[in-house]
Amino acid sequence: MASSCSQALRHHVCKSSRLLRVHLQKSWTNRSFEGAVCVSSSFALNSAADQQPAVSSPEEIVIPKKKTWSKEAVLQALASTVKRDPTASDYRFQDDPYLTPKTSSEFKLFSLSQESGRNAAKYFINTYPKYFQKDYAQPHIPCLMPDTLEAQIEEVSEAALIERIGMRKVKAAVDLYDQLLQAGTSVSLDVTNQLLDLICFYGDHDPAQENVPEQRNEETEDVQDEPQAKKGRAAKASDLLKATWKEKNNAERIFALLSEPNKHSYSALIRGMVKYGAYSKAFSTYTDLLNSRLKADMHMFNALITAAPEVKEKYNEKWELIVDLLKQMAEQKVRPNLLTLNAVLKALRRCGTVGKSQAFPVISEMKALSIDLSLASYTHLLAIFYKPGAPIQGQTDILQEVMNEVSGKSFTPQDPDDAQFFITAMRICLDTKDMEQAYRVHELLGVGENWRLLGNDFQQNIYYARFFSLLCMMENIDVMLKWYRDLVPSVYYPSSNVMRDLLQALDTDNRLDLIPQIWKDIKQLGHANRQNLVEELLTLMAREKHNQEVQESFAECALDIKKIYDTGDRGKVLLNWTAGSLSDLISVLLAAHRRQDAWDMLKLFKTHNRVPSEELLNKFLMCVKEGGEVNQAVELVQISAGFCLPGTPKLIQRVQQEFELTEQQRKMLSDLEIQSFNSE
Amino acid sequence: MVFSADAITAPCAAGGSNALFCKNMATSLVRKTKLLSMVSSQLNSAACFRNIHCTAACLKNRAARIRVAKGDKPVTYEQAYHPHHIGHRKGWLSQHTSNLQGEDGAAERVVEDVFIRRFMYGTFHGCLADEVVIKRRGNLLLICAVMIQKLLPSKFYFLIGYTEELLSHFYKCPVKIEMQTVEEKVVYKYL
Repeated sequence: MASSCSQALRHHVCKSSRLLRVHLQKSWTNRSFEGAVCVSSSFALNSAADQQPAVSSPEEIVIPKKKTWSKEAVLQALASTVKRDPTASDYRFQDDPYLTPKTSSEFKLFSLSQESGRNAAKYFINTYPKYFQKDYAQPHIPCLMPDTLEAQIEEVSEAALIERIGMRKVKAAVDLYDQLLQAGTSVSLDVTNQLLDLICFYGDHDPAQENVPEQRNEETEDVQDEPQAKKGRAAKASDLLKATWKEKNNAERIFALLSEPNKHSYSALIRGMVKYGAYSKAFSTYTDLLNSRLKADMHMFNALITAAPEVKEKYNEKWELIVDLLKQMAEQKVRPNLLTLNAVLKALRRCGTVGKSQAFPVISEMKALSIDLSLASYTHLLAIFYKPGAPIQGQTDILQEVMNEVSGKSFTPQDPDDAQFFITAMRICLDTKDMEQAYRVHELLGVGENWRLLGNDFQQNIYYARFFSLLCMMENIDVMLKWYRDLVPSVYYPSSNVMRDLLQALDTDNRLDLIPQIWKDIKQLGHANRQNLVEELLTLMAREKHNQEVQESFAECALDIKKIYDTGDRGKVLLNWTAGSLSDLISVLLAAHRRQDAWDMLKLFKTHNRVPSEELLNKFLMCVKEGGEVNQAVELVQISAGFCLPGTPKLIQRVQQEFELTEQQRKMLSDLEIQSFNSE
Repeated sequence: MVFSADAITAPCAAGGSNALFCKNMATSLVRKTKLLSMVSSQLNSAACFRNIHCTAACLKNRAARIRVAKGDKPVTYEQAYHPHHIGHRKGWLSQHTSNLQGEDGAAERVVEDVFIRRFMYGTFHGCLADEVVIKRRGNLLLICAVMIQKLLPSKFYFLIGYTEELLSHFYKCPVKIEMQTVEEKVVYKYL
């Protein structure tokens, strides 16, 4: 074997000696690797020689296709290795204990103050744009240039009108249009349609400018005929939502001035009317459209379907109107899209039992037209079948079917109502007490881009509150605490109700020893001033007897709670003592043998005008007996007599029997006995 | 610089001297050295220009050094160590790649840094506990600052949002602030 090998080696070496010499020459310089190179080269030659017969036969070498990676591929791969850090706060905030929000109100305050800082900077940038014109960036970054807020073209012309429409200046555009008409220049239909679009979209007033400080306008205040109660809150975005379609507004006027409105103009008008609540007008405009023998388009139909439940009263009529509209859509050969489906389903929510029967046929017809359902469709579907507050009648399969359809898929936002899916689904899980589906819903949140569809902070809070309540109700304490540690406080700041649910869950599972930790969290979340929560906490601590170290921790916790009850430095009273809470606190202290602290607390009964209970005094007496303080026992009896408690005689008897009293004390006690006897 | 053509012809133009050496100037080396001495003497005379000092006075022995005083002046770690300790006991306050072989833009980075430091000093007035560290990662400008807990957190966030937005628009690149707070200025020693 070796000889044949060496022979072969020699043979190959002779054959390709030149190659070897080249190798050796190269390796000569690299002394340390010399041997290795020789050996490897010889092996290479050997293997090459062995394979030579194989290569000579025709063999397909398949060159794989070149993979193209996107520019962010490396970053995405790196990002997939990192999971959410449960100990960190939201990415918006700085990673510092002083700057991390600990309660939900702090969260809101910090994020809003950061945003207002940005707005302040934007104000300066847009007011003094000449300092920000120098462009260092290649390629050009348009979002980092100052905004042009003032219209450039001053003359009265169509181009100026187009510019103002582009800058979303509604009033300026309307004024300019009027000027153009007065001057006699005709404005083309396209531009007029754009103007109509603008007016109908913004409901005939300017969109709220975020950077410019709020200026009290008479016009905006006229529009708000809603009750004054809501005026205190954010008056910016809500202006737009509560705005109604005014009687003789610019859109209708300009529309009337048009000699030949085409379907785009009608469409803009109808959609504006539906958006701002003028439903019957929308339908009358639609009949005008039909009379002028124009065709409607898809957006118009969507708007009309949305408006349909508002104009009719009975469920049947609503449904018939919708069917009518859909038939006309088919006649005019307008293809429905996802928004049509969602509008129909949303309208069916208002149709009661008709909705339940018609929902699935509608969906199957739309699927036949190859319209894929979005999360909004599923939301409406769930809302049709699970009315809030209605008793559940064995309809859990619908939620399950929906989850089967939806699991594992990543959705993109296609409809504004997509954001309602998660909170609707979680509400249904909470109502039907279905833990499994709740886990599936939560899992869906982790797929792909679905986290974007959870909604804003307020909706996120609602979602997690429902999820937590369900967990507290259904799962055992270990699972609950695992979720608690994962989500709180990095993602969710629980409200005091959720903390109460948590305490009840602890109670159910007999894990009351965790109460001091939960109390720390409650303090950190800022719920320490909620009367109900603190009283419930004290009751739970005082109820049963636990082992020594648990009692010690309870006593520490109780003393901590006592500090909250005491008046703050500014004389502000956060919490009021009640008889129950005082007794509970004293019992907890007694159970941990903190007699001195308990004695101090007993004085508080008098100062806060509360009456102690009999059993509390009995318990106290037992403790005092252990300590052997006779004076304290007598004082206890005096306190009891002071409150004229019915149990005073028994107490006196007990003291007389169990303690060794001096003459003076005996006399005092017999006086009290007579007193209490007389008062009865 | 001094011996440029302007300096040679200017005395001619000043009209003080004869046209003779203008002719002889190109001929021999001896003439040239004579020329040099003549020019320098002319320049030193009162009728000529004054000397101007073109560079700032670089007191390299006194820059960034806090001198030892009575013993009651608190000094941070950054201030306590002198510039020759950079790279040994101190890190760099500004990190960018412009000083590498073949990279340009070092001067622009320095100017940006100076502006950013003054901006931070003024915006977070009285809150800075130590020097601002500026790091550049690709396009991103990262400003790392240690602050004293002098303001409420909401006020800090307001100023952070304002600074990030303003500097992003000014330098046309994303600017992020990483902030850490301490209770008081961290004193390393007393000098």
